[in-house]
Amino acid sequence: MDFLKKLHIKPAPDSQFDQTFEHLKKVYPNQDPWGLNLKRARNTLRFIYPLYKHYFKVRVFGQENVEDRPYMVTSNHTGQIAIDGMLISTAFAMDIRPPRILRPMVERFVTALPFVGTWTAEGGSVLGDRQNCLNLLKRNQSVLVFPEGVRGIAKSTQDHYQLKPFTQGFYRLSLASKVPILPVVVIGAEEFYPWVYHPRPLIKMLKIPALPLTPNIVPLPSPVDIHIMEPVFPPEGLSADAPDKKVKEYILELEKKMKRKIEEGLKRRRPFFAAHKGGQ
Amino acid sequence: MLNYQDAKKVLLIGAAGGLAQITAGLLSKEHPHLKIIGVDSRPIDDIPNRPQVKIKRINYTRGNFEKLFRDHKFDIVFHLGRLSHENIGDTSSLAHRLDLNVMGTSRILDLALKFKIKKLVLLSTFHVYGALSDNPVFIREDHPLRASIKYPELRDVTEMDQIATNWMWKNQDQVSTIVLRPCNIVGPQIHNAITRYLRTSYAPVPIDYNPMFQFIHEFDMAHVLIQSVDQVPTGIYNVAPDESISLKDARDTVGQKNLPVPMLALAPAAHLVKRLWSFPDYLLDYVRFSCIISSSALGKHLSRDKFRFSTKETLELLKLD
Repeated sequence: MDFLKKLHIKPAPDSQFDQTFEHLKKVYPNQDPWGLNLKRARNTLRFIYPLYKHYFKVRVFGQENVEDRPYMVTSNHTGQIAIDGMLISTAFAMDIRPPRILRPMVERFVTALPFVGTWTAEGGSVLGDRQNCLNLLKRNQSVLVFPEGVRGIAKSTQDHYQLKPFTQGFYRLSLASKVPILPVVVIGAEEFYPWVYHPRPLIKMLKIPALPLTPNIVPLPSPVDIHIMEPVFPPEGLSADAPDKKVKEYILELEKKMKRKIEEGLKRRRPFFAAHKGGQ
Repeated sequence: MLNYQDAKKVLLIGAAGGLAQITAGLLSKEHPHLKIIGVDSRPIDDIPNRPQVKIKRINYTRGNFEKLFRDHKFDIVFHLGRLSHENIGDTSSLAHRLDLNVMGTSRILDLALKFKIKKLVLLSTFHVYGALSDNPVFIREDHPLRASIKYPELRDVTEMDQIATNWMWKNQDQVSTIVLRPCNIVGPQIHNAITRYLRTSYAPVPIDYNPMFQFIHEFDMAHVLIQSVDQVPTGIYNVAPDESISLKDARDTVGQKNLPVPMLALAPAAHLVKRLWSFPDYLLDYVRFSCIISSSALGKHLSRDKFRFSTKETLELLKLD
């Protein structure tokens, strides 16, 4: 917490966490097989939430679209590193009622990393695997997916806020589990690293998913808006094993809706160094 | 499905092991009419005498093993005789293990078919799936067996499992076979690597990883073995409780102090402590990545309260002794 004090950021009061975690303890009475650790998650949130509130000045729109049921939260992916996922997860744990731990689906290499793999798992992340996702949804958990994948997060400056084509897996899982998709649009995260260049030939040569070259290592305090859209229910009669062409139609429709929301969100966003007024 | 009332003789292979002894005890208590012949290639001097149980020291790959089948018309065979990876590192032990686990199992299967065994229960292990960073949680029985990708020492385990499962489907009309792949079996009478690891003070524990584990108490496992004879149809079944626990919490529950080391240093540390107690190389990955299995297939045939001990109770019982 000393780090927060140096940034002149006030830690959040314990009572706020007590209320949230009292509820979460009832949701997770036993140890979670994916490695979620409520005690560690609370410690992480105690550190992240003040940054969420006072550094990234997050505003959440569309909370009324969230009911007490599992969702496949589907977001655009922006900001070079997965800070957007961290902010969405924080919003669902702290600002949206009832609180829930979103289970972000992470890339395979993350789970193998020392410290990072354990830290993310203790915070709720799980390996981005089809069987894992289905098992979580069956257990009434809400998952967080970024169907743009690494291509979405690793955009150069000229491609900021351009939605990359979605992969199909998430939609098929929604069809298989009958769990609705909850589209979420994040605005403001691209400005964490406003000047980015991805040297594609070098990335290919090094066989790594991304290599963002940027003058600022620390993300800039860009104000972030999280827009939660109305849930999309999987269409009746469409099988999870339907041909790509049929599934693609629905995905394109979802992409269009999210693109419109991005445009709206960009019009409504605050200036870069927006002063925090404490509300929306 | 075979009924215990219709069975007279039981062959228990691997009778010197802790789990086999518990199984023999429970079997003789629950079904006093059964005659149990226990065999093992290991010394059998310390095995307590039970009136219904006769123990013999036999090498499964030798001729007198067939004589045993010929002399006794077994109805049920429990194959719990897989040799574990306790004393690895020396070539003769590796060759012995391969001979016993792979060749021995093949022989047992041949004899089971030849002498028309009604029910064969074979104990494999969840280790066949391997502990890998991209393992999903709740691995089902149809998941690829990837244990030997990194550790050739686990080759015999996967090979034995595959031989048994292929044989099982091929001969399902003649012998009803159950292949069980349990999670970590622990208990005061079990002397496997994970029990020893949990009970050792200042064992090296990675500071940069904390995988999830499933534990089943030795008595619960013995009950599953016995119940699978008359309640479970031919097939492969994972055996694990719904609960799971992280490695560090498990060691805390057992009440052991840890020697925290980064994963990079764990292999050399394990090599050093190997001189004091057995730490198989493959275990390095199991203390790094989770291998959580789903036992929903078995749950369809056995009652929900099939496990008497919770994970916490199972681990706390390790404090005894």
